[in-house]
Amino acid sequence: MYHVVLTNRYLTSRVIPLIAVGAVALCAALVMIVVSVMSGFLDMVRDSGRTLMGDVVIELPTRGIPYYEDLIERIEALDEARAASPMVDSFGLLRMPYPPGDSKQSEFVQFWAVEPESFARVTGFAETVHWRELDDRERRTVPEWDIRRQLTPRVLRDGLALHDSRTDRPGIVLGMHVAETNQRMPEGGYHPMGDGYWWMPGFDVTLVTIPLRDVGGQIEPESFIFPVVNEFVSGVFQIDDVRVKIPLEIGQRMLHMDEAELVDPDDPFRVIGVDPARVTKILIRAEDGISPDELRDRVTVLYDAWVEEYAARDDLLVLPSARGFGLNIRTWEQVQARFIGPVEKERDLMRILFSIVYVVCAALVLTIFWAIVHEKTRDIGILRSVGCSRIGISLIFLRYGLVIGVLGSVVGLILAFLIVRNVNTIHDAIGRDAPVWSWVTAFGFAAVSLLMTILAVKRERMLPIVLWSLGTIGMLGLGLILVLHRGTLVWDPTVYYFDAIPNTLDVPNAIVTMIGAIVFSVLGAFIPAAKAADTDPVEALRYE
Amino acid sequence: MSEPGRTTPAGTAPPTRPGPGPYRGPNGTEFILRAHDVYKTYRMGRVDVPVLKGASIEVKAGEWIAVLGASGCGKSTLLHLMGDLDQPDPGKGEIYFEEKPVNQQSRSERNFYRNRTVGFVFQFYHLLPELNVMENTFIPALVGLTRFSYYARRSEIHRRAQELLTSFGLGDRLKHRPQELSGGERQRVAIARALMNQPRVLLADEPTGNLDENTGGEILELLAEQHRAGLTIVMVTHDRSIADRADRVVELHHGRVVDPA
Ligand SMILES: Nc1ncnc2c1ncn2[C@@H]1O[C@H](COP(=O)(O)OP(=O)(O)O)[C@@H](O)[C@H]1O
Ligand SMILES: [Mg+2]
Repeated sequence: MYHVVLTNRYLTSRVIPLIAVGAVALCAALVMIVVSVMSGFLDMVRDSGRTLMGDVVIELPTRGIPYYEDLIERIEALDEARAASPMVDSFGLLRMPYPPGDSKQSEFVQFWAVEPESFARVTGFAETVHWRELDDRERRTVPEWDIRRQLTPRVLRDGLALHDSRTDRPGIVLGMHVAETNQRMPEGGYHPMGDGYWWMPGFDVTLVTIPLRDVGGQIEPESFIFPVVNEFVSGVFQIDDVRVKIPLEIGQRMLHMDEAELVDPDDPFRVIGVDPARVTKILIRAEDGISPDELRDRVTVLYDAWVEEYAARDDLLVLPSARGFGLNIRTWEQVQARFIGPVEKERDLMRILFSIVYVVCAALVLTIFWAIVHEKTRDIGILRSVGCSRIGISLIFLRYGLVIGVLGSVVGLILAFLIVRNVNTIHDAIGRDAPVWSWVTAFGFAAVSLLMTILAVKRERMLPIVLWSLGTIGMLGLGLILVLHRGTLVWDPTVYYFDAIPNTLDVPNAIVTMIGAIVFSVLGAFIPAAKAADTDPVEALRYE
Repeated sequence: MSEPGRTTPAGTAPPTRPGPGPYRGPNGTEFILRAHDVYKTYRMGRVDVPVLKGASIEVKAGEWIAVLGASGCGKSTLLHLMGDLDQPDPGKGEIYFEEKPVNQQSRSERNFYRNRTVGFVFQFYHLLPELNVMENTFIPALVGLTRFSYYARRSEIHRRAQELLTSFGLGDRLKHRPQELSGGERQRVAIARALMNQPRVLLADEPTGNLDENTGGEILELLAEQHRAGLTIVMVTHDRSIADRADRVVELHHGRVVDPA
């Protein structure tokens, strides 16, 4: 029982254990934060894959897949598949409505021409469309300037249908970062420049592209004028920066992949057949509980059977098999592999690097406990003289280590949670110049410290002099840094793929980290505890 | 948190004090505690420094014996051996408590010996600075208790500590830290701690060595009171006038105990 009394007293009446708790907390928080951000990052990559393209993708670039409606019908008949959607994709230039004047700017874009209804069933497109009416709850939290406060349901409806209902024309939905005029606000949300003037829905843009299939004739660029009907935010910067969505038929027409009559080369008036419309991709969504890999294997079998059937029916039609050249049937994870792979490796590397932090943690606890045991040598002698056993004595310190590990990891968890939660705010704050109050406060503290230093000099007390002058220098330095600080973006979205830093704590990892911190704290306490057990009571009690 | 290997259940009643009349321990001995022909040699670097060279001392139950000797002659060493804080050189001498050799007992028996059979009082008080007066006093009573047995006996333990401290004039200092007490008060707390588990023998190492004459006198009076109540006391000192307060004075000279009587 005396262990409990002593551990409690030792913990509550000294500064050293506070330092130990702080050290453990910092170590634990560091690991939790780094791994949380990395894991969050990985999850975002994963999720975005699914949101963007569904579970499985059949691709045949340039040539395109003909009779895709029939293929899609068969795919959708599979138990494993919930929905499938055809699309064509290519690259183009988008002539933007800005700046004012005749010479307009063009942006390089990747366009996806989709069938809006089925596309929304396969992907998370509907959720990513940004301009929509706010509900009552959002209305209370969203800032006054937000354009969404003034919107009618039509904007979202048009965006989802890729159709401008006011002019009854096919519409285009842009990635949020395609137009340079959109600014991400620190409070969240987007506000177009010119205090909303350059709000893209309401302007026309011109898409120019080169057809992929040139069935006879010269290659001429194709262009089409679209009204912008909405914008989407997938959260993946590289996507939101270049991707635009247009209706499938327009895309097929621009790429010459629409249905066409085949004519006799010798007699242009003699129709000899029909070249069917084609798509470059078919996106497929799995039924709940079906893994993308399962679905891909099923689709592969189905596709091969389908190709054979068509080849038998029409000898003009040459389609590659599932493993054939140019054709790919892949899960979204495989498509994203070039993103996921490196991030996974990075995270594992971080894990290994930060395991060293545990060792540092144990070393810290060890040295601090060594100091504590050293300082408590006399107490140990006293306890031995009143009959405490060696094991009992070492238990005091192991217990002490356990309590410090538990407290430290809990504090670390809270710290990590707060930091991870607010990581984007913190990042934004770093990204801006320091507010005036921050450095005024720092200089204020510096002045107070200076005053205390002078007082300490008068009283000729060495430790206060040293501490207060250190405080003065530190606060002066901090103030100077704050004054001179110019906003720097650490998390540059063009480099880091996402436009926001992941801000959810990785709970399983946090638990592992906490257990690690506790185990290593106890391990660090083992050696000092053994030393305590070996303390010679007579030696410990000899002097005052 | 239980003390491993404890053989006697915690909280057994301490042995009753011998009443009037000569004490007769087991085997008919009249000595409750004795050191027999003990040697103790310290190693200082490469030289052996013999401190005790065949010291023998016999303590009768209920007596107050003083060991007088010059500073550095080995008084503390002898007391530590008798209290089993230290051991004689291997094979050279033995400490007997009621004719049982102390050093040949198991570890847990020896912890029990230090916890229940003897009580130590040191020149430098040796209180635990983080604990208050109450806690310092009852800490020996917590040794060997589990959390449950502690809560079962809590009020009894607190009452005993409080009674002891009150009778020592410290009733209003229970929550104070040792640093807040005077030397004399600290030594009273140390004596209260030594008496907490009602030991058979009190071992006092220059209990007044750090105190002025008046305060020292008060402490000696306190010991005398306990002695009158039947406590056996072994006290070492270098001061003859202090030694004279005891029933019997022996001298430690050149590592051996001589009885001047
Ligand atoms: N651990 C030790 N190592 C070396 N010498 C010691 C040790 N303990 C005691 N001594 C020496 O033994 C002698 C007796 O010490 P001690 O018993 O404390 O004397 P006293 O209590 O009579 O003043 C002293 O000379 C002291 O220096
Ligand atoms: Mg001494």
